[in-house]
Amino acid sequence: MSTLIDPGLMGDVLKFGAADVTACYSCGNCTATCPLADNDASFPRGIIRLAQVGLTDDLVSSKELWTCYQCGECTTKCPTQADPAEFMATSRRYAIAHYDKSGLARVFATKPAVGWLLVVVFAAIFAGFFMTVRGPADANALVLFDFIPYPVIHWTGIGVMVLVAVFAVWGVASLARDMARKDQVTWKELTGSAEGRRRASKALWYSLGIESLGQRRYREDCVDSAPIEPLYRRRWLIHALTLWGFLGLMLATGLDYGLDVAGIKATGTPVPLWYPTRALGTVAGLALLYGVTWFIIKRIQRAGVASRTSTPMDWMFLGLLWVTGLTGFLIEVALYVTPAPTWGYWVFLVHVAIALELVLFLPFTKFAHAMYRPVGLFFYSLAKQRTDAG
Amino acid sequence: MSEQPNSTDDAAIPERRIGVYICHCGGNISDYVDVEAVREALKDEPDVIVSESPVFACADGTQHDMIDDIDGQHLDGLVVASCSPKLHQVTFRNMSNRAGLNPFSYTQVNIREQTSWAHTHDRAGATEKAIGLVRAGVAKTRLSVPLVPLVVQTKPRTLVVGGGIAGLRAAIGLADVGLDVLVVEREDQLGGWMGRFGPTFPRDLAGRDEIAALVAEIDSRRDITTYVAAELTGKSGSFGNYSAEITLHRAQGDKVLTLEVGSIIVATGFDTYLPEAGEFGYGIDGVVTLPDFKALVESSTGRLTRNGKQVRSVAYIYCVGNRQEAPGNEYCSKFCCAATIHESIQVSRLDPTVRQFHLHRDVRAYGKAELLYSESRELGSTYLKFPDDEPPAVATLPDGRLGVTVVDLLTGRRELTLPVDLVVLVTGMVPRENTGLTNLLKLPLGTDGFYNEIHPKLRPVETVVDGVLIAGCCQGPKTAGESVASGMAAVAQSAAILKKGYAELDPLVATVTADACTGCMACVSACPYSSITPISWDGHQIASIDASSCKGCGGCVPVCPEDAIDLLGYTDAQMRAAIEALVKEPVG
Repeated sequence: MSTLIDPGLMGDVLKFGAADVTACYSCGNCTATCPLADNDASFPRGIIRLAQVGLTDDLVSSKELWTCYQCGECTTKCPTQADPAEFMATSRRYAIAHYDKSGLARVFATKPAVGWLLVVVFAAIFAGFFMTVRGPADANALVLFDFIPYPVIHWTGIGVMVLVAVFAVWGVASLARDMARKDQVTWKELTGSAEGRRRASKALWYSLGIESLGQRRYREDCVDSAPIEPLYRRRWLIHALTLWGFLGLMLATGLDYGLDVAGIKATGTPVPLWYPTRALGTVAGLALLYGVTWFIIKRIQRAGVASRTSTPMDWMFLGLLWVTGLTGFLIEVALYVTPAPTWGYWVFLVHVAIALELVLFLPFTKFAHAMYRPVGLFFYSLAKQRTDAG
Repeated sequence: MSEQPNSTDDAAIPERRIGVYICHCGGNISDYVDVEAVREALKDEPDVIVSESPVFACADGTQHDMIDDIDGQHLDGLVVASCSPKLHQVTFRNMSNRAGLNPFSYTQVNIREQTSWAHTHDRAGATEKAIGLVRAGVAKTRLSVPLVPLVVQTKPRTLVVGGGIAGLRAAIGLADVGLDVLVVEREDQLGGWMGRFGPTFPRDLAGRDEIAALVAEIDSRRDITTYVAAELTGKSGSFGNYSAEITLHRAQGDKVLTLEVGSIIVATGFDTYLPEAGEFGYGIDGVVTLPDFKALVESSTGRLTRNGKQVRSVAYIYCVGNRQEAPGNEYCSKFCCAATIHESIQVSRLDPTVRQFHLHRDVRAYGKAELLYSESRELGSTYLKFPDDEPPAVATLPDGRLGVTVVDLLTGRRELTLPVDLVVLVTGMVPRENTGLTNLLKLPLGTDGFYNEIHPKLRPVETVVDGVLIAGCCQGPKTAGESVASGMAAVAQSAAILKKGYAELDPLVATVTADACTGCMACVSACPYSSITPISWDGHQIASIDASSCKGCGGCVPVCPEDAIDLLGYTDAQMRAAIEALVKEPVG
């Protein structure tokens, strides 16, 4: 069965980065040296090859893209300076753009000027909208949800999330379908028998629990997570703190909403710092800010292969996260300062606008790795189970 | 000769002093031949003064002993019974020379290949055979006469056949060492393949510029004469003094020149392989050979276009017409990987967006061409390695493009179809059809159809025809640089032959006994070297053999009804004596 290739693939991928990969002559040192590559996910060489020969569908649906944590060992050992690690990152951007049907991701990745303009424009739209609908700014105490009425934030947020969910589900479902096809995994096989269901559950746990939450291979196998770096700036840890911080903030917000719905505490009611949801939010916010700040510092320092090359897409994601985290903290500071500073209202407005933008852009920016990586890890676990079962 | 010497008539045989050495050759001989018995049988033969049985006759120490024996015992003949003369005849002739013994009074007897190795099952028989052979050698040596090399004056002028880059550069080299040069080119202009090329590897210099520089240099030399639209159509004479017949093809008719030359350098080049119809899609519009593609790239400006249409993607299929299964062309043409890669770089420079796929068995961009290989990859060329037994196939796709189907070993043996606008068949070299010249010069062809040198390492430009040298791709595939280098080697070899002004020839040639010759001329047609001509002598016609062109093959000897021809070193008398000795009852 012969596959008709796309001669333009490599040229298209190169628009997303990885300028040096053309030097690759397929020696395979990268795969040999990769601590994560195995028979169930062999990369980077094989993945580079897919782009070289023009196998688009195979490239974008490679689970290998999402089993790589970008430690950079391959790039260090590459005899032709083809920078395979950067190619893997580029291919992830390419895959994100491929599975984004809006075309926004491609713009963010390949037209940075337009991308930044969009970031500014969307922020301005959100901010402008809240400016327009804003209520009174009480000068005696910060009553944030009078300044921007709570229902406005609530329903705007719901609207944004529905929009995001449409693109996220579309993308994740398409990727899952393509990966299943490639690995010859069928829905029936996963759900039709107890054994199938057991395997699927195990894969799900591996993907979401062990790897996404637990960061196991990132922590244990990636070369740059070895204790050469002090623990406080090791990549897996700052990534984990960012992730856990983000999830903690989501949980705190959710619990706060739950308390409101349950009639225990109305959203916006002043609470002491030790109040459980506030305390959770504070700790999670600190973790997020710590992690993101280190990522930014490492990228500025170009520390290690993983942080050496930064694209606008990297900065965009880190920037939105960092501004969201920082403004959140400033609001918290403003809340506990007396007399209440009036800048607290404006920081709040920026915070809400940027946070909504961050969520809105999830499927189109680097944030999308949060949707696609678990899919890749799920199929990786299935493949591994299949191999282990013989 | 009316009276033959009788081998039993000892009075007719001059008294000689002969040394006989029976070699053990480690055990190669002595394991199957009783070397001591051979020595015993020979030591009392008439005229045998010294008889020894060294472990290795060819060893330095033994050679010194032989020199001492020749000197001390005043030997005037020498027999070494050892290996094939092919191996050590020259060794012992040189040793004889050093000892002051005429080298043609030395006879080598082969008791290894012809005796010990042939009769490993029969020690007694082998020993008996060895005794017979050595006796024959002694008998032949007893009748030997000192011979001296023939000295002929040589003409300080070289004919270069072929005006390509190798021939033209050689012509300048010959003029530089002070030889007159004639260049004969079959086509209407000098330059050959390189003269038609634009930029070539390794450094982008245009072939036609390089040729123009050579031609300008040649035009400025008074000692180089060039003839275009001309062919070498006849050759006579002998080594160092050839008479070359050159036919000039002119509008008003052919004109024949006869020119005297001392040596000939053949640099007639190659032809490019022409694929058969259907071979890798050859015949489909858009499937072209490497030379055609090179011309296409050179004629394109701005964008790569063919028949007015822009070419956006190219697939190169390597090793077309080369590295085939026997009886096809099994050799590799050496230049084509580098040439193709270089051409793909030209394409990338013309239009960086052209997508280029190189379908190869191996990339043999050896030496400095490796850098071109890297450069082409960085410019976006993709290399796909297909298995030897699964060559690519070319067909037309439904959308009109060409589809090249290939199994890529580096993509997990996936079968891929590459949709491209142009397919380039990387065609290698084939020997040029040159039967007329080959027959005229009696040049030996290899099984691959290229001219054969004497020795691939040590005598790379000499042929078995004395004074006729080969250079460039007529000998086998070469890059332009290698062709020029072999041309320069031929210059050096020509100078080695001609600069002394004379040449020494082997004296083992045929001679006519004038008194016995009746002038029947039966020998003329038996001579493959046209060395025999009738002359008038003492009032009647007899045959005369030109010693300088005679190769000593002996073809004329048996056809002479009067036994008037003898081969020096192998006279009838010597051979009869040898046979008599061979069939004599063995002693003991």
